[in-house]
Amino acid sequence: MNAGGWVFIILSWGFIILLCAYCLYKIFSKKKGLD
Amino acid sequence: MAQESRQAWGSKLGIIMAVAGSAVGLGNFLRFPVQAAQNGGGAFMIPYFVALLLLGIPLMWIEWSLGRFGGGFGHGTAPGIFHSLRQKNRFIKYFGVIGIFGPLVILVYYTYIESWTLAYSFFALTGKYAGATTQAQLQSFLSAFQGLESNQYFNSLRTAYIFFLATFALNIFVLYHGIKGGIEKLCNVAMPALIIFGVLIAARVLMLGAPDPLKPGWNSLNGLGFLWNPDLTMLKDPKVWLAAAGQIFFTLSVGIGVILTYASYLKKTDDVTLSGLTAAGMNEFAEVIIGGSIVITAAFVFFGPSGAQEVAKSGSFNLGFVTMPAIFCRIPLTAVFGFLWFLMLFLAGVTSSVSLSQPAVAFLEDEFNLSRKKALAILTVVFFVLCQPAIFFLGKGVVDEMDFWGGTFCLVLFATIETILFTWVFGMDRAWEEMHHGAALRIPGAYKFIMRYVTPLFLIVILGSYLLSDNGRNRILMAGVPEENRPYVLGTRLLLLGVLSGLIILVNLAWRKRRAHPGQGGGK
Repeated sequence: MNAGGWVFIILSWGFIILLCAYCLYKIFSKKKGLD
Repeated sequence: MAQESRQAWGSKLGIIMAVAGSAVGLGNFLRFPVQAAQNGGGAFMIPYFVALLLLGIPLMWIEWSLGRFGGGFGHGTAPGIFHSLRQKNRFIKYFGVIGIFGPLVILVYYTYIESWTLAYSFFALTGKYAGATTQAQLQSFLSAFQGLESNQYFNSLRTAYIFFLATFALNIFVLYHGIKGGIEKLCNVAMPALIIFGVLIAARVLMLGAPDPLKPGWNSLNGLGFLWNPDLTMLKDPKVWLAAAGQIFFTLSVGIGVILTYASYLKKTDDVTLSGLTAAGMNEFAEVIIGGSIVITAAFVFFGPSGAQEVAKSGSFNLGFVTMPAIFCRIPLTAVFGFLWFLMLFLAGVTSSVSLSQPAVAFLEDEFNLSRKKALAILTVVFFVLCQPAIFFLGKGVVDEMDFWGGTFCLVLFATIETILFTWVFGMDRAWEEMHHGAALRIPGAYKFIMRYVTPLFLIVILGSYLLSDNGRNRILMAGVPEENRPYVLGTRLLLLGVLSGLIILVNLAWRKRRAHPGQGGGK
């Protein structure tokens, strides 16, 4: 795998893992909606 | 009143799991890696994420919001939901027929394909295909199993039909137990199990190293590179951008009508923004991280760069049912990993197929005030009858035809219609307010512009490109269909037209009934 492959894998996987972690954190930490 | 007797989800996580379960299907593990490998590798992820942000996530929010809005009026399917958007318009509900027709058509062939994964997980455990170890042998095994030829492995469709019946019965069993007791329970178990199986298989593939000491370059890292090394020149090709948009569209299960129905069982104050984003995130985890690590990487390790190229070109089915068993035959614990692979695909399939069934059941319950048992009994008969052509005439182009109309054309058309209705007819300001009722996440203001202009434009471009492409035009004009298959393809079109007409008549009847007996209708 070349450097470009590493860059794309780290950015793609990183974005998705952060998105999932953020969403799950918000779900389990937030009790009520914005209203 | 129907609304009081409508079912409800047991928990917030339950509906997120169910929507993610609907989205995660065979395409995540079989279609995505092929699309990425053929469209620029890592560079494919640029248009892919652009499409996710401009098309996939906005559509998720639109469908969740529309579904919850319609549910508040006692409607769980698109005809009633669209009617709720503008009650004075007599015709708007008919656009919603596509939101019942599409999932029903997909359900018919998807359930049969799902039954293959159940059968293959059984074959993996019992060693039934162990005698077939090369790709050519496994291709013969698959063809005979599908009834396309008779050979030493199978001489009739009997085995495939038994597994179809088992899969069919399991789907009906889950639906019989309803939203909370059936679908939610299934998805709460199946989704975590699917992720665990996927991570286990991906980890095994990534730890294969270089199994052949004579070919040290055929290793898992280079296999990953085969899929992920970017070819940035491909970004100049509009087809790559359309392929990425198509992949995002199909992977998230938007434009089918399923999310509308699932979200209709939410309460007015339940969040849709964070839930929709979470379901999309879970789907992307399954697709990009798990799906992007398994099949192409494994094919490269055992068959080399040219072999992996051939495999990617051979299509999703061959990848799943021919290449992967051939690979598992070459690693220790063949039965275990073969079983886990097909069980993972089966779990992805069954969580999708129950979601595809629900719109038809909800339509009968909500609009005709039928009990769940009666609605399910009607669906069972219709579903079973419609499955038969897909099973017995698989080799005649019936499934391809159903996939084009139900699984491709109707999806894009329906998504375009619902986006325009929600953001233009209902109005962007009201739509924005509706999305933020009970929201646990405020959507960035830029999405007002994106949902109103960019998403519909994106969808119109996809729809136009499908219709104008050689593939779409040839499909519509039946060019390339062998002469002997033409009656079957025409018959399928007539069957689909019959189903669509039947649904239009049912919508008409439901609203006539409501006008005649205002207190007895399902929705408002």
